[in-house]
Amino acid sequence: MTTNLLLPIVLLPLLGFLINGLAGNRTGKGFVSLVACGLPILAFIIAINATMQLMATGGPLVQTVFTWAQFADRPFEIAFYFDRLTAVMTLIVTGVGSLIHVYSTGYMHDDKSYARYFAYLNLFLFFMLMLVLGRSLLVLFVGWEGVGLASYLLIGFWFEDPEKAAAGKKAFITNRVGDAGFLIGMFLLYRALGTLQMDQINAAFLAGPVAVSASLVGVFLFIGATGKSAQIPLHVWLPDAMAGPTPVSALIHAATMVTAGVYLVARLHGIFLHAPEASALVATIGVATAFFAATIAVVQTDIKKVLAYSTISQLGFMFLAAGVGAYGVAVFHLYTHAFFKACLFLGAGSVIHAMSGEQDIRKMGGLAKKIPITFVTFAIATAAIAGLPPLAGFFSKDEILWFAFASERGGAPWLFVVAASTALMTAFYMFRLLWLTFFGTPRMDEKTAHHIHESPWSMAGVLVVLAVLSTVGGFFSVPHFLEGQLPLPAIRPEFHHFEKPLIVLSVVIALLGLAGAAWFYSRNGARATQARTRMEPLHRLLSGKYYIDELYEALIGRPIRWISDRVFLRIGDRLLLDGTLNGMASVARGAAGQLARVQTGNLHFYAFLVLAGLVALLLWSWGHV
Amino acid sequence: MESLLSNLETLLLVVFAACALVGAVLVLVLREPMRVAMALISTMVFLGGVYGLLGVHFIAAFQVLIYVGAVMVFIVYVIMLLDPRDSAVKRRFSALLVPGVIACGLFIVALGGLVWDGAGRVPRAAGGAGFTLAQFSSQFLNEYWLEFELTSVLLVAAIVAAIAVIQVSRRHHG
Amino acid sequence: MDKVQMLIGLSIALFAIGLTGVIIRRNVLVMLMCMELMLNGVILSLVTFAYQLGSAVGAVLVFLIFVVATAEIAIAIPIVLLLVRHKRTLDLDAYADLKG
Repeated sequence: MTTNLLLPIVLLPLLGFLINGLAGNRTGKGFVSLVACGLPILAFIIAINATMQLMATGGPLVQTVFTWAQFADRPFEIAFYFDRLTAVMTLIVTGVGSLIHVYSTGYMHDDKSYARYFAYLNLFLFFMLMLVLGRSLLVLFVGWEGVGLASYLLIGFWFEDPEKAAAGKKAFITNRVGDAGFLIGMFLLYRALGTLQMDQINAAFLAGPVAVSASLVGVFLFIGATGKSAQIPLHVWLPDAMAGPTPVSALIHAATMVTAGVYLVARLHGIFLHAPEASALVATIGVATAFFAATIAVVQTDIKKVLAYSTISQLGFMFLAAGVGAYGVAVFHLYTHAFFKACLFLGAGSVIHAMSGEQDIRKMGGLAKKIPITFVTFAIATAAIAGLPPLAGFFSKDEILWFAFASERGGAPWLFVVAASTALMTAFYMFRLLWLTFFGTPRMDEKTAHHIHESPWSMAGVLVVLAVLSTVGGFFSVPHFLEGQLPLPAIRPEFHHFEKPLIVLSVVIALLGLAGAAWFYSRNGARATQARTRMEPLHRLLSGKYYIDELYEALIGRPIRWISDRVFLRIGDRLLLDGTLNGMASVARGAAGQLARVQTGNLHFYAFLVLAGLVALLLWSWGHV
Repeated sequence: MESLLSNLETLLLVVFAACALVGAVLVLVLREPMRVAMALISTMVFLGGVYGLLGVHFIAAFQVLIYVGAVMVFIVYVIMLLDPRDSAVKRRFSALLVPGVIACGLFIVALGGLVWDGAGRVPRAAGGAGFTLAQFSSQFLNEYWLEFELTSVLLVAAIVAAIAVIQVSRRHHG
Repeated sequence: MDKVQMLIGLSIALFAIGLTGVIIRRNVLVMLMCMELMLNGVILSLVTFAYQLGSAVGAVLVFLIFVVATAEIAIAIPIVLLLVRHKRTLDLDAYADLKG
């Protein structure tokens, strides 16, 4: 049924962007904070309203805003679509988004570009909401590109530092590579179906065979998803994106933007249900990325980089779930991940704030007593991500492992084994992070130690809220909520009795990880250092992130730069273009120089030319008269 | 040709014309400027004779009075003032001697040929009718009064120019 | 050939010789005199046509040419004098200042 609640949800953050962007520098910080936080909170309230309307009426809410273009009988409309999946996504985006805005008022308090930061953050929310609320792939793509833009602006927020600016550029360009795949997928869909509206696409695929191969489309769309959600091979931008302010990392690179790829796959489940090859690809890449990122996270020493690789790993889990047909479970993990990862990132921000900007965990330690609220919330979120019951992460991760093992649509034991090992590593490195940061003897210098203080309530309060959500969030069963729309796949009959044992196994894995971290890193990490010296080459490989960045640079970066320099600059631009222009100019100059030789200054010559001309004329007319 | 030489008038006409031509060629050829001026004067006088034989006596008078009497005398005075031992006297001809003469020949041939070919198409009037000074004057001042006025403007301009030239020369040489 | 044809031929010859004189003589004054020769050629042709057609128009034009020629000479000579004072020679090849 039609509604007019959806447009305000999208437009309120845009309004915030315009106000803060245009007038923010002239008004005080209070006004900027009020506008920047108030408008998303208002959007959240309207979203709750829309959800209640949705539950009351049962059918999806649609709002067509205007027709962008019309080709014969096929219009391209800007329309918003609100069903249960959208409800979950919108509430997460506006809810967690508002919390992070409030946190930012504390974190960015001393920054000189306060207004610009909030303007960009609101801009991001606008595009993200457009992405999740869009009815057609076109609107989604506008949002998709827009969040990429906002991400670039925010990663490179402190653009005076060239490294940070380069990180922003890397994110944007890597995203664009994925977008090429996305666009091709869109073109194929449009050519086959004549529409880009996602509900109609799903209906078409579910109704019967379609003119285009579902797997082909699925693969291309997934390429777009790998770019946005940092899966192999386009994951390289996410660790570099930690150059941005920490709340940005929490909002964009943990809770919302990077989940857009998962949302895309879940939304277009109609295609993936009929594309077993594409789904297998999704699951394989998902689990491979999860494993691979977890191995790197084990040796990282920057608190934010650990969390970045953890995010890549958890996104891999979400794609694993989507790949085996359990779309609702993927969204469930997205939902719980938003809570505990945002809590972790914001907690890291709190730690960095307390440590006066230090991010290296080798220089931390013993912070538990000094910043208790941060410690407790961080610990709760760590337990959640490790999968300890009854926290949120346990429920979602367990479901993923179960469906990876037993789903009839692609589940296999090997997927389970890899995923379980990744879960073990996740628990291990997260507890390692907790240990090194908060326990043990302090390893920082005197001056920093002196300045350690708990964060203000704008920051600590948000941490508490998110920790509570990480605890109780799992009890709201999102897969059940989405059952009508995204049915769970059937379980292979022979595996039915594995369900309970696997739950126990998940808990055991989590506890093993905790114990392992405790064993290695207690007594100031003596055993960890020993293990490292024994496995030095492996450690180097992992610290170097498997040297993928260097590989890309050698295979892609250097050849492109070489071609740009040799072919396009030297030959194309200088030789051809400049040469042609300069050549034409020198031809003109040469011709003029030659013609000027007529002017000898000698009157005899001029008179002779007069006579010669006259003679020529007369002879010609005599011949033709 | 016979009809030309038939009576004295036409014979004289031919003689005068030939002498004028000879004078013109001498203008081209003689070395010293004074001699060139003499040759030109002779040409002009012979031309005056031609006009007289054609019946337009006042034109002949104007020719001798104005052209020879004013213009050529002026030129002769100037030649007197300038140094005869000038390099231009030693080397008479410019670099374009040969091309110039060839072009001259071609010009005469072309224009003459054109006129000869077109000669049959122009209607011949009675010829030799002549006209009187009275006719000339009335025509001049009635139909061509505009040109008359413009000429007076031209003369004023010439006088102004002459004065300007004197100023320039005075300024230049104190 | 009758009178008119002969006189026209003469006027053509005078004009051509005058123009050639401008081209081949070095002395500036001689060049001026050759220009006078050209004018005389034109005057002759005008008078011949006036005689042939019996109209006074040609004579009027001749009269005007006289006036203009006189004025022209009156100015040209002083110019030549000034130039000669500058360049100290009557040779036209020295007056190539406007080259290029």
